[in-house]
Amino acid sequence: MEYLSLTAGLMLPWLLGLALLAALGWPRGDSAGRAALRAGFGYCIGTLLLTLWMRLLSAVGVPFGWLSIGLPLAMAAAALAALALRAGRIAPVDLRAMPGSLLRPPLPRWQRVVWIGLIAWLALRFLLLAADVAWQPLYPWDAWVQWATKARVWYELGRIAPFVRAEQWFASPGGVYFDAAPNYPATIPLLQVWSCVALGRWDDSAMNWPWLLLLISLTCAVYGALRGEGLAPLAALVAAYLVASLPLLDTHAALAGYADLPMAAVYTLAALAFYRWAMRRDPLDAALALGLALCCPLIKIPGLVWALTLLPGVVVALLPRRGLQVVGIAYALGLFALLAMARTNVVILGYRLHADFDPGWRAFWDAYLLSSSWNLLWYGAVVLAIVGARRLGRPRLAPLSVVVGTGTAFLLFVTWFTNASAWILELTTLNRATLHLAPLLVVFGALLWRELAGDAQAAATIAPAAA
Amino acid sequence: MTYPAAESAPQTIAAPAAPPPSPPRAMLVGASLFAVSALLCIVGYLFVSVPGNWFGSSPTLRWTAAELAVTQGSGQASAEGLRVSASGAQGIAIVSIQTSFRSAGYAAVAWDTADVPDDLAAALVWRNDYEPGRRFTRPLTVEARRLLPITLADDPNWIGKINGLALIVRGDLSQPMLIRGVEAKPMTAAQVLHDRVREWLAFEPWSGGSINSRNGGADAQDLPLPFALAAIVGVALIIYAALARWRPQTVGPFRPLIAGGLFVCAWFLLDVPWQWNLAREARATFKQYAGKPWRERHLAAEDGPLFAFIEQARARLPPPPVRVFMAADALYFRDRGAYHLYPYNVYFDPYRNTMPDAAKLRSGDYLVVFRRKGVQFDPAQKKLRWDGGQPVDAEILFAEGGGAVFAIH
Repeated sequence: MEYLSLTAGLMLPWLLGLALLAALGWPRGDSAGRAALRAGFGYCIGTLLLTLWMRLLSAVGVPFGWLSIGLPLAMAAAALAALALRAGRIAPVDLRAMPGSLLRPPLPRWQRVVWIGLIAWLALRFLLLAADVAWQPLYPWDAWVQWATKARVWYELGRIAPFVRAEQWFASPGGVYFDAAPNYPATIPLLQVWSCVALGRWDDSAMNWPWLLLLISLTCAVYGALRGEGLAPLAALVAAYLVASLPLLDTHAALAGYADLPMAAVYTLAALAFYRWAMRRDPLDAALALGLALCCPLIKIPGLVWALTLLPGVVVALLPRRGLQVVGIAYALGLFALLAMARTNVVILGYRLHADFDPGWRAFWDAYLLSSSWNLLWYGAVVLAIVGARRLGRPRLAPLSVVVGTGTAFLLFVTWFTNASAWILELTTLNRATLHLAPLLVVFGALLWRELAGDAQAAATIAPAAA
Repeated sequence: MTYPAAESAPQTIAAPAAPPPSPPRAMLVGASLFAVSALLCIVGYLFVSVPGNWFGSSPTLRWTAAELAVTQGSGQASAEGLRVSASGAQGIAIVSIQTSFRSAGYAAVAWDTADVPDDLAAALVWRNDYEPGRRFTRPLTVEARRLLPITLADDPNWIGKINGLALIVRGDLSQPMLIRGVEAKPMTAAQVLHDRVREWLAFEPWSGGSINSRNGGADAQDLPLPFALAAIVGVALIIYAALARWRPQTVGPFRPLIAGGLFVCAWFLLDVPWQWNLAREARATFKQYAGKPWRERHLAAEDGPLFAFIEQARARLPPPPVRVFMAADALYFRDRGAYHLYPYNVYFDPYRNTMPDAAKLRSGDYLVVFRRKGVQFDPAQKKLRWDGGQPVDAEILFAEGGGAVFAIH
């Protein structure tokens, strides 16, 4: 019975997000990959709404419980679904056709074989990851020293209680708590609290199912986004597979409890929604991108910077002619400011900036190219960036090129110019910081590859005609 | 006279519009390119890696930990192997074995070790029958907390019959290193390839470092699989581009589909061992935890004894939210113990082995100590002190297995 309750609790944010997107009619039109887009974005948006609702409940003094959290959200989901049905934005016939299109896609024979093979391979992957989520007690260090600590307290209290630094804790008469990172945002622990509320008891294994669901939803979203951009079904599925098979991403699903996978999912979806807006100028895409970007700092503190990496892309999208020059000038000014700041000891977001320029190439080499943390992602990214360098500024790619470029610059900046470099060069942080950007890098690589393939095909078509 | 006009007019007859030669099927081209490139890369790797003969029939010689003798330092036999330690910051330990084999057939020696401190100085020592009174030494490299194999084929003293091998280590061995055995290896081409495949497919269980990075098999690898596959794809793409440019009749024009396909195939080949590793990990997790309720799973975990102790401590504490201080020498026990104590209002030092300032404690607080040196309790006086500081009034609620719970008055 309790696992039924847990399943319902896990499905609730998914249904809420799906119903919201369907009611809004997003994505507009009969776009390819719509179901996958809704499924992928739906879960992520639903979980964010869930935690925002829990913050509100706590603020007004209503204790956490099925009735206070689950019931209103279920009612909201039902109302939104009814609205979508009435507006014809959910067609039951589409829902019935989904399993068929997943398992018997209308593709040439060899492509269908590859398609089904990949679906089966991914299903097996998620099943194997599920084994660790289901049985392994909370395992990775930071998960139980700075995230689940809050979840445990808030679950037992039925509300959010403040966590403070040591000196404040000692000075306080009571009512405040302490852990290794008292200033970290509440979203991750609230997600865990909800799983335990749904289960009806504290369980630091079962509370981590959202991590696996986030990985699955990210995979769906990548597939849907690439289909929406015109990639063939199999090519889009291959790109989604590349995301889902990133070893470090899988590890964060199996050994759940860190904020990096949720950060990667929310940031990637924000960037994908932004890219849709840049290509289509649909206000709904913009609203989604904005909402998801605003939620990035609610996942992890560096989420603020990740959200800001979208801004140069917005500039390029809004100023198609001069955007790249404007961003280039801004980069130059930023570099100048950085060099000036790096001569001081400014502290931003808890990181001390100083000109300890130490590229630590060996750490990058080991982490990106020799270890198996990223499969072949970085080999592919480097080759694609070199081969496709002249295409990065094309209107179809420029907004995302700038976002990915800014994200990469952020990674390099953190690595080279802050006191985080010591942890990064020990490989404790480099890969985890990279994880936030990696899924977007795969999507970007797929889009760039499409440009290259399109050019090659065009050249092959022109060559015989000219002959 | 013949007039040109009278001649039959030369006719330009267009050749029949033969269809252009159809480019070879993408899959065949891709598979052929991959196979040829893999072959070239393997041969190239063997060329630089095989120290002696590519082929040979000498079997690998292996001596187990039980056959090793500790001649300096101390050794303790365990189920895993021989645990070797030495006292002092620069302690020396020597482990040796009597041997008798011809050096000609064996190009390398590999000590099978684990838990080797990164700053340990280590050397291989051997004797041969040409100069039986001399001992020859070569330094060994520590990587990923183990000793790397050493190639001796080019050493002029690796000659004749080898009558003894020894391992000398110097450094901080307060935490013992593990020796499972030692091997003399012929290092033929087949063995080199076998070693690489074994490294790639070695089970990599979850560890504290898994959340940060994945090795992709053994901790120390001579040739990481991502690099090997990237090299194969890179060479295949170079061959393909060259053929498409200068011999298009063999592979057709350059098709990005083939280039992308090569990359995705290599990705998948790297993903297969990862999926296999996940399956093995899932099986291990299943065996350790499946079917157990939440509490039993924690008791079965690696911190089970700590969890059991904290459970008993919680039974002696009043209900939350009293203030509870958690102390332990080991960072893991301190932080993990604190985690198990929530939702009590827990304080612990997440980074350093410090105790709270006694002046900041107040009546009604509790102190949980687990394997922490320097904590003294005087039951007669009911005084508790730590690290030589001022004593505080306290009462002991529970003590067991190196842990105790105190109520502060």
